[in-house]
Amino acid sequence: MKTGDGRRETGGTSREQPRFHASSDHAAVSAQIADAPSESPRGAPVSRLPSPVSRLTTEGLSVHFGPRSALDQVDVAFDRGETVGLLGPNGAGKSTLLKVLAGILPPTHGVVRFDGVPIRRPDPCVVYVPQRTGVDWSFPVSVLDVALMGRSGRRSRWAPLGNRDRADALAALEWVGMRQHADVQIGQLSGGQQQRVFLARALVQNGDVFLLDEPFAGVDVPTQELLVALFGRLRDAGKTIVYATHDLSQAKASSDRVLLLDHRLVAAGPPDAVMTGPNLRAAFGGAAVVVDAAGAMP
Amino acid sequence: MSDWVLDPLNRTFMQHAFGAIVLVGIICGVTGVFVTLRGLAFMGDALAHAIFPGVVIAFLLGGNFLIGALVAAILVSLGIGAVGQGGRLSNDTAIGVFFAGSFALGIALISAQRTYTRDLTSFLLGTILGVSRKDLLLTAAVGLVVLAAMLLFRRELTLVAFDRTFAQASGLNLWAYDQLFLVLLALTIVVSLQTVGNVLVLAMLVTPAATARLLTDRLATMTALSALLGAGSGVAGLYVSYHAGIASGASVVLVATALFALAYLFAPRTGIVTVRVRRRLHFPHPERNVFPAETA
Repeated sequence: MKTGDGRRETGGTSREQPRFHASSDHAAVSAQIADAPSESPRGAPVSRLPSPVSRLTTEGLSVHFGPRSALDQVDVAFDRGETVGLLGPNGAGKSTLLKVLAGILPPTHGVVRFDGVPIRRPDPCVVYVPQRTGVDWSFPVSVLDVALMGRSGRRSRWAPLGNRDRADALAALEWVGMRQHADVQIGQLSGGQQQRVFLARALVQNGDVFLLDEPFAGVDVPTQELLVALFGRLRDAGKTIVYATHDLSQAKASSDRVLLLDHRLVAAGPPDAVMTGPNLRAAFGGAAVVVDAAGAMP
Repeated sequence: MSDWVLDPLNRTFMQHAFGAIVLVGIICGVTGVFVTLRGLAFMGDALAHAIFPGVVIAFLLGGNFLIGALVAAILVSLGIGAVGQGGRLSNDTAIGVFFAGSFALGIALISAQRTYTRDLTSFLLGTILGVSRKDLLLTAAVGLVVLAAMLLFRRELTLVAFDRTFAQASGLNLWAYDQLFLVLLALTIVVSLQTVGNVLVLAMLVTPAATARLLTDRLATMTALSALLGAGSGVAGLYVSYHAGIASGASVVLVATALFALAYLFAPRTGIVTVRVRRRLHFPHPERNVFPAETA
């Protein structure tokens, strides 16, 4: 896959890394994640030079829809190899922030930088996984067709998708446990299965940054576990993962850092430090009742 | 029987009519797949009416009606896009405003002509029996352009139709592909006007594609089936029209509608009769299966 202007050193890595091989053990990966301390400083893989700059940063980011302000002066930075949960109430600007980071929505003020370079349009190395609800699931395409769409947007229209693209798509489907459904029309899948197909499509895109909008919303437990395993796997490969969620315990369990968002940035840092009563009340409003199933909430 | 089939084929005007309806059936069938999948039926109907003033102005100036129609279609689709994205009015409303407004402009312009009624009728219902050799060549040429463009941009058009946010994140310019499709749709409508007329072109766009969707879950198969159904209903409809002496456009559309009804009832997996019959075959006596343990 072409990496554009070559300003990044990531061009050669796609073929060197063993990608989506079927042997990876979901249970083992998720266990490894669960045991790891949340703020563990994971070393970057040897194939990648440590970078002094954060991979994705925003400066003074504001987005206004008419008179309404969706994001107000947000400064955040995302590093290589970290998983960041975006937390906040409905309408707090989580989706807006992801769309701006993906280059889909131009900010009213401020700038997004990818490896220090301002981005104005979608970058091939940034993979965006939209909410499941935004898609017409009755569309006459198969699971494999959807996975292949991870390639189709970036390919010259003169170059047909080849056997290698097919093999990659099938491998990605295998990894998310959907290969046996490759020929099924997508509308016949359950919500969790649809989310897995979206993940396979994201894997096929082979990017460096993964932005996921509410990936845990309305999915079954196996898919949740798969998502956590996937996050671990991508993080170990030095990828950056940013996902929006309103599930506090999920965010606590599967993030290196969380950002608490309510139009502005309320707090950012390791889950235990950020998800405190005062912070959550500041973001979710005074009515928020802070309850954690495990009783571990400070 | 062979006379019934061969007799119309001996007449030149019928040969031209068959050629035209097959071409239109194929072009409309292919474009119609995306019209149905994207829910653009109302937009298609609006474009069919909106190009009317363009055709009339071209006719009055003695210019090429194809260019007049295309200019009108592009102006109207840009206008609908601008008004519909303002936020206050829905796209539907914007389509309604432009649809009626431009059609009225066309009627106003043509009503100043002496041959007003005849011109209006031929525009609304088409004049398939008056298709000349030149018309046929023009239809074929424009059809080739439309089909080639659809083939070339099939991946992008599919992505934009299926998942717009993802398409945008993949670097596709949604506006550009929307406009591209509307231009292809406008071209399809323009070359279909003479054959089936302004009122019935919508049926050629929507009905064969809808029938095809009931028969398959594959986009490529659906497109091929839709083209086949469009051309097939066209040929069958022309025969019916020739022998029963009814209006050709109407008879073509009625055949297409009948095929849709058949698919709706008897499609292998989705037909409502098929599903019910299959359920009966699988569970012939549901009451006996209520307590299988007790009967055993």
